This record gives sequence, C-alpha cells and structure tokens, in this order.
Amino acid sequence: MSLDTRKTRVGTAPANTPRVTSPHPAYQKRMRLADSLQILCIASVAIVIAIFLADGGAAKFGTPADAFTSLGIIAGLVGTDLLLIMLVLAARLPPIDRAFGHDQAMAVHQSLGKPALYLILGHAALLITGYSLAENVNVVVETWNMFTTLPDMPLAFLGLALMIGVVITSLVVVRRKFRYEAWHAVHLLAYFSVLVAIPHQLSVGGLLRDGAIARYYWLALYAAVAGSIIVFRFLLPVIRSLRHRLVVDRVDAVAPGVASITLTGRKLDRLRATSGQFFVWRFWADGLWWQAHPFSLSSAPSARGLRITVRGLGDASKQLPHVKRGTRVSFEGPYGLFTENARTLLRVVLIAAGIGVAPIRSLLETVSFAPGNATVLLRSHSLGDTYLVDELTDLCRRRGAELRIIAGKRPKGVSTWLPADAVSAGISLSTIVPELESSDIYICGPRPWTDAVVRDARSAGVPKKQIHYERFDW
Amino acid sequence: MVGDYEGMPARTFATMGTVVSLRLGDFAAAVDCAAVEAVETVFRRWDERFSLYREDSELSRIARGDIRLTEASKSLRTCYALALDWRERTQGVFTPHRADGVIDLSGVVKALAIAEAGAVLTVSSPANWSINAGGDVLVGGNAGHPEWVVAIVDPGNRSEVIANVPLGYLLRAVATSGSAERGEHIWTALNGEPSPFRQVSVFAADIVTADVLATAIVAGGESTLNEMTERFAVDALAVLRDGQLLVTPGLRRTA
Amino acid sequence: MRARAVALATLASVSIVGIGWQLGSSAIEASQSLTASSGGTAMAATVTATTDAAARAAAAAKGAADVAAAAKAQADTANTAASAQAAADAAAANAAAAAQAAATAAAATAAQAAAQSGTFTGAVVQTQYGNMQVSVTIANGAITEVLPLQLTNRGGRSVGISNQAAPILRSEVLTAQSAKVQNVSGATYTSEGYLRSLQSALDTAGF
Repeated sequence: MSLDTRKTRVGTAPANTPRVTSPHPAYQKRMRLADSLQILCIASVAIVIAIFLADGGAAKFGTPADAFTSLGIIAGLVGTDLLLIMLVLAARLPPIDRAFGHDQAMAVHQSLGKPALYLILGHAALLITGYSLAENVNVVVETWNMFTTLPDMPLAFLGLALMIGVVITSLVVVRRKFRYEAWHAVHLLAYFSVLVAIPHQLSVGGLLRDGAIARYYWLALYAAVAGSIIVFRFLLPVIRSLRHRLVVDRVDAVAPGVASITLTGRKLDRLRATSGQFFVWRFWADGLWWQAHPFSLSSAPSARGLRITVRGLGDASKQLPHVKRGTRVSFEGPYGLFTENARTLLRVVLIAAGIGVAPIRSLLETVSFAPGNATVLLRSHSLGDTYLVDELTDLCRRRGAELRIIAGKRPKGVSTWLPADAVSAGISLSTIVPELESSDIYICGPRPWTDAVVRDARSAGVPKKQIHYERFDW
Repeated sequence: MVGDYEGMPARTFATMGTVVSLRLGDFAAAVDCAAVEAVETVFRRWDERFSLYREDSELSRIARGDIRLTEASKSLRTCYALALDWRERTQGVFTPHRADGVIDLSGVVKALAIAEAGAVLTVSSPANWSINAGGDVLVGGNAGHPEWVVAIVDPGNRSEVIANVPLGYLLRAVATSGSAERGEHIWTALNGEPSPFRQVSVFAADIVTADVLATAIVAGGESTLNEMTERFAVDALAVLRDGQLLVTPGLRRTA
Repeated sequence: MRARAVALATLASVSIVGIGWQLGSSAIEASQSLTASSGGTAMAATVTATTDAAARAAAAAKGAADVAAAAKAQADTANTAASAQAAADAAAANAAAAAQAAATAAAATAAQAAAQSGTFTGAVVQTQYGNMQVSVTIANGAITEVLPLQLTNRGGRSVGISNQAAPILRSEVLTAQSAKVQNVSGATYTSEGYLRSLQSALDTAGF
C-alpha cells in the first residue's frame, strides 16, 4: 500500500481533538419529514382495509366462499395500494427525495415489487376460488366465466400479465441480461398495467360501486398518483430544461477518457441544486441525444454554471468527453440525498474511488465542518490514476480537511475495499479514521467497492444513518 | 302440455302476416266489441304503412324508390328514427336495414303496433287484457291479478313449453325471436355466421324493448346477451343450438 | 425506520382500522334491524311501471290510492310516524326482474310522502341477490320511477353480474304455480303456422 498523506490540515492537528457527537441540525428536520411519509404510507394501507370494514366487510367471512372472496378483495386493495406507493416512489417527488434520497426511495420501490405482485396474484387466486365455491364450479370454469362474462376482466388479466412481466424482468438475475433501455421500456409498462386494471375495479368491485365513498377515495388516489407522476416525472423536467436552457460552455480534459464539462444557462440560482446531487442529463448532439445519463455535480453549483466530471464508459457516453461547446442539454433533476441534507453529526469522512470522486469533490466544497473535522479518502490502483486530485488537494488545504490517497491493487478472492498489503497489515477504515464513529461517512464508487466500504464501516460500529452512499449504476 | 286454461275468451284476427290473439278480462260486451275493433284498426294502420309484404305500403314505395325518405310521412320518419336509436343502443347489432340496404322497419313495427293497441285498451277500460301478436305478448290492466302467465315454446318441439312465466309487475311484455324461423327475418350482425341461439325470449317493461332486444341477441350472440341483460331492466331466456338454456336470475325457479 | 415512526404508524393504523370496523358493524346492525322491521310489516303497494303515457295516466290515480293506503297502514303499525315506510312489493335494481322474485320490502320513507311528490330512499334490504336499496320517485301520488341505489352480490360483485344469463337445467326454469296459461311466446308464426301453434289450441279452447 502506498499511503500518500498530504499535509493538508491547517496548522497542526490537536492531539486530543474533542469527540464531536452533537447531531447536525439538518438531521432532525429530515427525519420528521421521513417519519411523516412513512406513517402516511402505512396509514394508506390501513385506510383501504378500514374502508373495506366500513362497508360491512367484517360480516363477509361466514362461509368459505365469502372468506376467500373477502380475503381476495383485501389482497387486491392492499396490493394496489402498494403499487401506487411504488409509482409515487419512482415519481421523484421532491419531498421523498429530500427525506430518503433517490437511491433509498428506489430501494424501497424495488423491495415492494414482489409483495405487491404476490398480493395481486393472491387477489386473483382467492377471488377465483371464492367465486367458484359460491357458484359450485371448478376454478378453470370460473376463470373462464370471469374472463368472458364479467365486464373489463380481459383488461384486468392483461394488467396482471404485464405486471408479472415487469417484476420478472426486474429480478436481479434477469435484469442483467437486458440493456438498460430495453429493461426500462418494459418497466414503463407498469404504468399501463395499473391503468388497465382500473376499469374492473370500478365495474366488478362491489366495494367501489357508484356513489360509494370508497369509489371517490380510490379515484382521488389514482388522480393524485397520476398527477404527481405527470408533474414531477415528466412536466417539471421539461419546464426546467426550457427555463434554464443549459448549454455546454467548456470541456476540460482531466485524464484520457475523462473530462469535466461546464454548463451554463439562465437563472441557475433558481435550480436549487446542491453539492453531491445528480441530474439525468441528455446532450442534444449526434449519437448522444437518445440516451440519458445520470452524472453527479463535480463542483458546487452556482449561478454561473454547473460542472460535471464524466468518464466515457459504455455506449454513447464514450463520446461525451468530446462533446462540442454550445451543445444544448436537457435534464431531469436535481436529485439525491448525497448532500449536506443527509448529515447527522458535525464530523465528516468522504471516501471516493475512480470517477466517484466527482460528487465527493463538490461535497468537499460546501459541506459544513470545522477545520480539522473532515477526512477525504481517495482510493485508486496507483497514485497516478486518480482524477481531480489537484483540485481536492487545494480544497482540503483551504477548508482544513485531511486528504489521504490509498493506492494499490485489491487482493484476489477477498472482499475488501483496501489494497492487499493494507489488509494483511490489519488496516481498516477505523484505523485510518479514528473518529469514525462520530462522523458522517459519504461513499461514492463502483457498487461492489462501495458495499465493501459500507461493510467495513458497519463492522466498526457506525450506525446506518451515518453512512451515506448513492449508486447510480442501474 | 300447457296446463289449465282459465276460460277467458280470446278474439283472433289476422294481420301483418300473422295472427293476433286478444284477451279481454272483465269488459262488458259492448265495450268489448269496440275495443277489439279499435285494436284491429291500430294493427291495420301500421301494416298498411310499414309492411314490406304489401306492395302498396308506404315503406314498399320507399324501398322501390317511388318516394324518398324525406318525402315520407312524419310517423314513418319517427319510426325510422326510433329504429336508428335502437341501433345505437344495441351497438349496431339491431339494424333497420336489410342486407341489401333497403329500409326494413319490421323489427319495430309489430312491437309499436302492439304498444299502441295496449295504450288504446288501457284508456278504454281499466280491466285486464293481453295481446299476443305472432308470439309477442303484452299484458295490462290490474297488474298481477289475475296473473297473466305466458308459456315459452320449446324451439326443438313446438308442442312443448320450456317455462311458464307470470307477467305483470314491472315486466309486462315478452318477445321471442328465433334464428331460422322466417327465413332471413333477422339480419345477422355476425358477418353471416349462424346465431348460437335457436331462440331468445326477452321480458321487459315494454314490448318494443323486448322485441328489439330479442332480435338483437339472436343476431349478436352471447356477448350481446350479456351486454343487454346488464344494461336494460330485462330478463332473458336463451335456447342454445344444442338445446341448453341460458337464463337470467329472475327466471330461475326459486328454491 | 425510527421507533417513534413505527409507534405512530401503528397507532394511526390501529385507529383507522378501528374506525372502519365500528362504521362497518353499525352499518351491518342497521341493515339487519331494518330488514327485520320492514320484513314483518311489508305492505304490498303495486308499482306499475308503464312506459306509454296513456297507461301511466290511467294508473296514476290508482297508484296514489295504493301508496297512500300502504303508507297509512305502515304508519299504524310503526310506533313513530317518522319511521313509517311505504313498502313497495316490486321495485329494484337493474333487476326489475330480480325485484319481482326478490325484494318484498323496498321502501319509500316518510308516511306523509304518499300524497306528495319527491324522491324517497328506502332501507337496505337483504335479498337473495344480495343487499338491495332503491329510491322511489313519486309524482302526484303515483310512483313514476324505481331506481336501484345498491345491489351487490354476496360475493362483493356488483349490480351488473346479478343479471347475467347463466346456463341452467330445464328443471330449474321458473314455472308459475298457477299454471293457468293464456299466452304462448315463440318465434313469430305465420298466419298458416298459427293453426298448428299452441296459441291456436289455447285460443280455440277459450271459446
């Protein structure tokens, strides 16, 4: 291991720095919002069950047929509620982004997928069973009867089939086999599958009959979800792109295949972006416009401009470092909680690998800490292949942070984020940063590496809420 | 066989290519004669104007192109408009045009004649009456007393009946359509495919609805059956080609 | 998720479900007691739903009398005049037909309503087709419209399905108890066909 510890602290570090454990002011505010949103989600499930009970549902468990049917209805109601929550989570609503961050919101979205599908499948299975018991025919006949005689059922079955398809293509194993664009196209069918299931709820669902409160509640719910998707997922990005009219102002080569792109536009102060956030960018140039890429800001945003640092990797992004000055750029964002807003404590550790240095670089610029209360760890294969290291050195010097560059290849067959010699020497995150437990840790790098750092921090006893990382690989 | 018969006298007369059976309940003899005459007049007038079987009917003259629709009488145009309205309500399954494009109002004319005759009877005396014109039945008077019972004939064996259904209350009319009873009587909407039904009976509050829907269901098949029973306040009894029955809940024997 | 969020969410959910439960059980009780009370004292008021104006005009006077009589009788049996109901024997649903067999107690509230005009909503009645509720419109003393407000199958399916035509055995078809048949309905017979028809046999027997 080559440990390049640059003397970047202002003055001499006091030998016994007092442990700073007081909470960061942003934390309480964010957690109140997060609590409210979580309570709202759980209450929404309670509400749909309450509506079923208010309709006299408790009396509908007398016979096996009734019990199956009632359970089926509940499964459908709760499953649909979860689906709507999933849609809202993916709609990039500002409060959700502020409270949980895009990454965690999508993780919850992902974890709800299977339960929602199972509930909807259970809804179909239980109702078919219940109806066939009530009518004394076998389930195959009943399914056929439902398909052919009940209004809007073919559409509902179509919705179910689409939903199965969407969930299967999202299973990690299957998902890797698709290009992102193909997977995303299938995934957007989820909107359609929810949509085509609505008619049968209104026409077949006795609970949502004309004039019933439940009908208006659900219609309002659908309208609210559809509205937030349309506004925040589609309209707002278009409006923002048109309002700010971003164009490429300059492109600075950082290393072979890596460049910093500075964008200028109008009224950038009204964008309310902060360091560490990312945007989904679309560069309107030949060969680039058809793909949108998430890139983090690599310096603090200002009214003068935004800067990202990109490494041309897959597909079209190879051409990005060569994008021409004046190219128009549209965007969705800013998103993400890899920011000052995630803070819980007053001390901070920033850890980056590879191009993950970009958001770390912008964070370092604005994140609040008293001189001596920040450590920046830069991980690379060799001392030469780090990006933006001059800028980082300069910033650390100005703000009183310590910068350490940890270079060296990882050992084979061992899951670690450190070089082989560091592992054999018993070095870990807590030995590099003794104040680890009283720090917020921001990690950005490739997914397996990030996971290894998180594991290291967790085993050192750092609570989850102090560890912040945002993955933007899909 | 059909069962007992109560002994109410029936008057019959031929019109519109079929026979009308008229039963009048407690009418006094003098009223009786006048009422029968009035009903006969109603049917004759509708027949003269709208029958394609009569060369000299107004509709035949339109079909031949002697007069244009715009020159036709107001009642004919009203009747045509009503038939077009029913085409909308049955989503095009019922249509007032023959396959060759000629306007054919026979799908509604008989029912309209029955309805008008019924109105005449109701006004002339508040007693019980029933009109059966070629198998389409409308009853009136003190609904439910005595109970008017109509038998639905078995299309497989015309001397047998499938069901004895009391009329009255809200459903005072029944009409039955068959798929091959009268040659090309029903213009099929199923691209010339044969109807899955041998016979369809529809019970409704009025005879026009019953008649039009029976015709439409034979032509449109099972999907039309389901749509119409759901959309309209009717009961239906359909006999499939293999003799099986499809029946709305109202026509099921209650345990 | 923080402990306090879990606690608050649990509290909120339990109370929401509890409120739903309470509303539900009071609704169930209400519908049961209404069924019991109206079932015992059901009056037969004839609803003649006629489509042609002539017939309706003729029926209007009689309808007024019937409804008034029913309401009066109901008011006599019920202790409070306010809760008296004019029960209609027919009434109901897309299933005007279903009502024929099922609803014996669809009701128009308000005793004094019989002589007035307006729309009255009946109680929820449990029938073989599920819960049934109708509104009755009375104009000038005659019932002019009976509209279904609620008709749900036991299985939670709604109105439409209740009137679906389903396959049955011939032995399951409705057969009038009286079996006094006056008319035969079949596909249109011709003048010649009439002579061989069941209707002809009936008509001949009539003379």
